[in-house]
Amino acid sequence: MSINSHFIIFSKPFIDAAKNVFETMVYTKIEPQKPSLKEDHLSRGDVSAIISVSGIKESEPPIENKIYEAILVVSFPYETYFKAAEAMLGEKYDSYVPDIHDMGGEIANIIMGNAKRDLKLLGYSSNYEIPKMLVGMSQLITYPKDTSIVIIPIKSDHGTFFLELCYFEK
Amino acid sequence: MSIKADIKILVVDDMSTMRKIIKQMLKQIGFTNITEADDGATAWPLIQNGIKDGVPFEFILSDWNMPQMSGLDLLKNVRSTPGLEKLPFLMITAEAEQGNVVIAVKAGVSNFIVKPFSPETLKEKIEKIFK
Repeated sequence: MSINSHFIIFSKPFIDAAKNVFETMVYTKIEPQKPSLKEDHLSRGDVSAIISVSGIKESEPPIENKIYEAILVVSFPYETYFKAAEAMLGEKYDSYVPDIHDMGGEIANIIMGNAKRDLKLLGYSSNYEIPKMLVGMSQLITYPKDTSIVIIPIKSDHGTFFLELCYFEK
Repeated sequence: MSIKADIKILVVDDMSTMRKIIKQMLKQIGFTNITEADDGATAWPLIQNGIKDGVPFEFILSDWNMPQMSGLDLLKNVRSTPGLEKLPFLMITAEAEQGNVVIAVKAGVSNFIVKPFSPETLKEKIEKIFK
C-alpha cells in the first residue's frame, strides 16, 4: 500500500493521541515530520514498544465489512528515551535500567487507548494487545509479510523518535 | 487540601512506570501513605489484610486493564465486601470510550480518569470523590 488517503485517515487518530500523551505526561509538544515507506523490518531506535490492534472496518452495506489488523511501533533512541523518562518520572537516567523498561510500552498503550475512541468514529472497532518491548537498534520487528509500513519521524524537546504504522485488511 | 495527608492509599497498576507516575503525582498533591500493587490479584489480598489488621485502605486508585485481575473485577470484589461499599475507588484507563464509563459506574466506581492526565486533573478527581 502506498501512503494513500486511506492510510492518512487511519493514522490520524494515532498522531492526535501521541500529541495528547506527550503534551500531558511527557511535557513536550511533538512535531511529526514527513512520513515515508519503510523498506525493512528493523527497529530505528534503541527502545521500541510494539502493540498490535485488530478489529472490523465497518462499511455500508455491512456485508462489505472487513477484518483489519494493524501494528503500532514507537521507537526511541536511548538519548530521547532517557530524557522522556526524566520528564515523566522526575528522575535522571543515563543508562537503560529496569525502572524505565515499561515506559515505552505504557506510552504506546495510552496512544492506542486514546486512538481507539477516534478510530471508532471512523468506523473501526478495535481490540489491542499488551505492548511488547524490544531493546537494541536494528532489531527485527515481526511485521506481517508483504505489508507496507509507514514511518513518521517525530521531533520533540527530548529529541527525535519514530512512530511506525502498518495496516492490512484480510 | 481538606483530605488528610496520611490517608491509606493503594495504587494498582501492572506497569511500574505508571505506578511511579501516579505515586509521584499523589506526593505532589500532598499524600504521604501510599502502597503499590502490580495487579488486581495482588491488590485484593492487601485490601483484605488491611481490614483484618484493622488498618483498611481508605482510597484505591486502580488501572482497568491488568493481566490477572482487572480493575473492574477488583472493584466488584471491593463493592461486594461488607464495609467496603463506599470505599473511594478511582478507576484509571487508557480507553476514552463512553461505554467503559457506564460499565464502571454500574459497578460502583467513585470516579473515572482517562490516561493521559496531569497532576491537576488527578487532584480535581480526588477532590470530587472526597467532597
